Amino acid sequence: MKKALSLLLVLLMAFSLVAAGNTEASEADGPAAIVWAGWSGEEEASKAIFQEMREGYEAQSGNKVDWVGWTWADTAQQLLIRLQGGEQLDIAQADIGIFNTIAQTGTLADLNEIFGEEYLTSTFPEATLEVGKIDGKQLGLPWSMAAITMVYNPEILKEAGWDNPPTTIAEFEECMADIVALDKGIIPYGVSTKDSTAAGDLMPWLWTFGSSIFNEDGSVNLGPGAVETIQWYKDMLAKGYIQMDIGRGDARQLFAQGQMAFYDDAVLAKGQAVSAGVSPDEVVNVCSAMPRPVLNEGDEPQSTMWGHMLMIFDASEHKDVAADFAKYLVSDEVALKYFENNGMPPVTISASENEAVLNDQYLKGFMDSTATAKLDETARMVNANEIKTIVVEELQATLLGQTTAEECVENLRTRLEAL
Amino acid sequence: MDDKHVKGRLTDGQVGFLLVVPGIAIFVAVILYPFISAIIMSFTDRSLLSPSYDAVGFANYLKVFSDPYFLKTLMTTIIFVVFATIIPFTLGLIWAIVLNQGFRGSEFLRGVTLVNWIIPGTAIGFLWSWIFNGQYGILNGLLTALGIIDENISFLGQTSTALLCVIIARSWQMLPWYMAFLLGGLQSVPMDRIEAARIDGANNLQVFRYIVIPGMKQIFFLVLVLGAIGNLQHFDIPWTMTQGGPARATTTLSLEVYRTAFQNWKLGQAATVGTIWAILLAAFSFIYLKQVKESE
Amino acid sequence: MFQKTLAFRIFFAISALLIGCFVFLPLLWLINTALKPSDETFSLYFFFGPLTLENIKAILTDSTIMNYLKNSLIVSFLSSFFATLVSAFAGYSFSKFRYTGRKVIMGAFMMSQAFPQAILLLSIYLMMQKLGLLGSYWSLLISYVVFTLPVGTWTLKGYFDALPDSLIESAKIDGAGHLKIMRKIIFPMAVPGMISIAIYGFVWSWNDLLYSMTLVTDPSRRTLAPGLVMTYLGEASTNWSAMMSASIVAAIPVTIIFIFLQRYFIAGLTSGAVKE
Repeated sequence: MKKALSLLLVLLMAFSLVAAGNTEASEADGPAAIVWAGWSGEEEASKAIFQEMREGYEAQSGNKVDWVGWTWADTAQQLLIRLQGGEQLDIAQADIGIFNTIAQTGTLADLNEIFGEEYLTSTFPEATLEVGKIDGKQLGLPWSMAAITMVYNPEILKEAGWDNPPTTIAEFEECMADIVALDKGIIPYGVSTKDSTAAGDLMPWLWTFGSSIFNEDGSVNLGPGAVETIQWYKDMLAKGYIQMDIGRGDARQLFAQGQMAFYDDAVLAKGQAVSAGVSPDEVVNVCSAMPRPVLNEGDEPQSTMWGHMLMIFDASEHKDVAADFAKYLVSDEVALKYFENNGMPPVTISASENEAVLNDQYLKGFMDSTATAKLDETARMVNANEIKTIVVEELQATLLGQTTAEECVENLRTRLEAL
Repeated sequence: MDDKHVKGRLTDGQVGFLLVVPGIAIFVAVILYPFISAIIMSFTDRSLLSPSYDAVGFANYLKVFSDPYFLKTLMTTIIFVVFATIIPFTLGLIWAIVLNQGFRGSEFLRGVTLVNWIIPGTAIGFLWSWIFNGQYGILNGLLTALGIIDENISFLGQTSTALLCVIIARSWQMLPWYMAFLLGGLQSVPMDRIEAARIDGANNLQVFRYIVIPGMKQIFFLVLVLGAIGNLQHFDIPWTMTQGGPARATTTLSLEVYRTAFQNWKLGQAATVGTIWAILLAAFSFIYLKQVKESE
Repeated sequence: MFQKTLAFRIFFAISALLIGCFVFLPLLWLINTALKPSDETFSLYFFFGPLTLENIKAILTDSTIMNYLKNSLIVSFLSSFFATLVSAFAGYSFSKFRYTGRKVIMGAFMMSQAFPQAILLLSIYLMMQKLGLLGSYWSLLISYVVFTLPVGTWTLKGYFDALPDSLIESAKIDGAGHLKIMRKIIFPMAVPGMISIAIYGFVWSWNDLLYSMTLVTDPSRRTLAPGLVMTYLGEASTNWSAMMSASIVAAIPVTIIFIFLQRYFIAGLTSGAVKE
């Protein structure tokens, strides 16, 4: 019996060896077929335009673009698995978080070498290029960028007696009190208290209160402002201004139903309202961006950077084709069509000066904050997700009354320093 | 195939082994090989971020055991596994007894009950987070309408109820599965013995206690073990409903492993948790095998 | 089985009512959502309010979703069939044969359910890639068969254990070979068990998200569970009413098959009993 078993094992191994030797050699001549990976090409709202982009490029260049997609939430993980296996991968769509993860693998091509520095600096504003730059290498090509800032429902605010959104925290609290006083079950502020978005939402408030999670050198900061911020969250929860069990998805849902006055989101906030039946042109009436309220008048409103980028892989055999395709995607015609269809703000200097982009009232609110938007503090860290998980866990423990604000900050410090 | 020929040359034992060969072949390829590579991985610092890695000895194990949250996660896992198995098992058994009565439409109900089980886990997770939602939740709406509560309860937002909510959702999903297996079991209980007991004057409870339960002992055991293992692996519903929160209240080992491997990219450490979990289960399986042996 | 005494009737009525509500009310809510116009998705009315077949119609006419459904049906059927067959062989072997290594293999099969699947994923991906199976139905079939195998083997072993050895012995005396015994005597008597396993394997494949998403990236071969999540759970918005509608639409053919199998399930049982 043992013989039979070992024979079987040998056979299996032999089989796998033969199969392994069988991998196809890629063709060097003729039109190239590149693989483009991401998530938007799978989604209901952007599927059609992504197909158009591919077909448009195929018709123009004679090359072929194969799409490989997953959900947005799984894209980083799936890209990593694909990279480990060495399957063909030429160009991919990424948001700032995914970009950071993939850049850490060292598999991305330096776009300065592919496009030439001159093309990049003449096409994109310096600030957007910065987002895709790590250690002096341009690893991400800006595709669509704006700030994550606060979004409010002007109709609800008007009802509560506010013609303009609050600008300071004191006003913000007054406004929230007025909304509670309406007694319509509207949640004043849908700051995220669930999943990793809770960490993302906390950061700009920490900055507003003059603190941050980390110092410039990467050591843990969490100064006195951090305790204040957490205490402020606790107070808001106690007064019914914010709620537990709210993630970005829940907030979008409630906001679209008119049951929430403020929350934090990027320019694609529009998507949920549109899919809930609001006409794209009227979205701005129920969903407008505003600068985040500041602690003292005259402070600079805080916001985080949001954006989509394109990455080209170093191991790609068709980097030139991938680059050509990327140029096609950011070209005015394609980028403006993408903007028109899905509201994704173009980044190139020429496209962002287009009338349609400049005159878009909805977009304006997000673009106003973009100039001062900062990167998420974990945006360049290998263990970004781990840090966010810890921040959320400790924040939740405090909001649930298990720890005080001081203890929360101390626990955070201990756990983050232990990493 | 020529039966006689095969029979002439092979002993019973060899035939028996040949029958498992297809199973073993797939098993070796899809489980054993990845399983062994995962155990090896648990002694390395392998990360999803890079194909190269180094051996680190027991460092991952030390890290896991010194993690102050590991015990809590283990407790949460045990609570989840036990209750998400017992609740649908009990309800499934009662439901099977009800549907076994053979009233008009019972056959249809049996089929329709299975629908819960064929709805994708993500959709179920959402359905139940909506039911339990603290703002526009259906349960809150119902309780308010009935005058039981004045103020909405954030069922998923507090540690005391979040795990229970996840268990209820999982029970709802799996009840049909228990029902199907237990119904099969009920129908295999020998009717002649029940009739004989009736003649001796046994009442319903006695029939249930002395004939139905012993007759179904094996299927009970099987369903409970498989159900428990399924729950240990389960991921979709808690991930959709709470992502393991609030404050880790619903973080089970399965979520922890997923998060370690696919969010923190630490394959080595995830494999370590997996190996520890496999060792725990080995103990569990040992009890199972012993039980099977006794019944043989 | 039970006498319809007053106590039993009360038990019956209460259980039927409570469990019935638990099982069916959320399901009805799901259907209710699927039938609501998309701007009413979150309204709290229960069937009494504006209803529409638009969502259902949109799903039925969406060729991509229908293609996902088709793929799911193919993969689930095939994997369920293979899993049942392989499990039946293995279960029969464990039950009625004695050979060296049997216990070890049995234990190993059981253990294979024990390791977190998320960790096996990477190795399976790399192996499927080496075998050149990545992106094919095969990669899914093989993975799914193996995840059903332990449950299947152990369940069917239980069924075979219940069959008296004398049955096999007398067939042998009549000159029947092993294959004939299996085909004509053993397997027919285990039909209910095999159907349970087939259903189990079917649903496993049907609900799998992670493996399907990772191993098959070609949209034309994608199965339903990842397909729905990818289409409706977007970065910017989630379309729950479409997700619910699609889940319900997809559940209908499967439910019909299951209802049909339920009949067969019982028919298999009674015929087994008659032979005995």
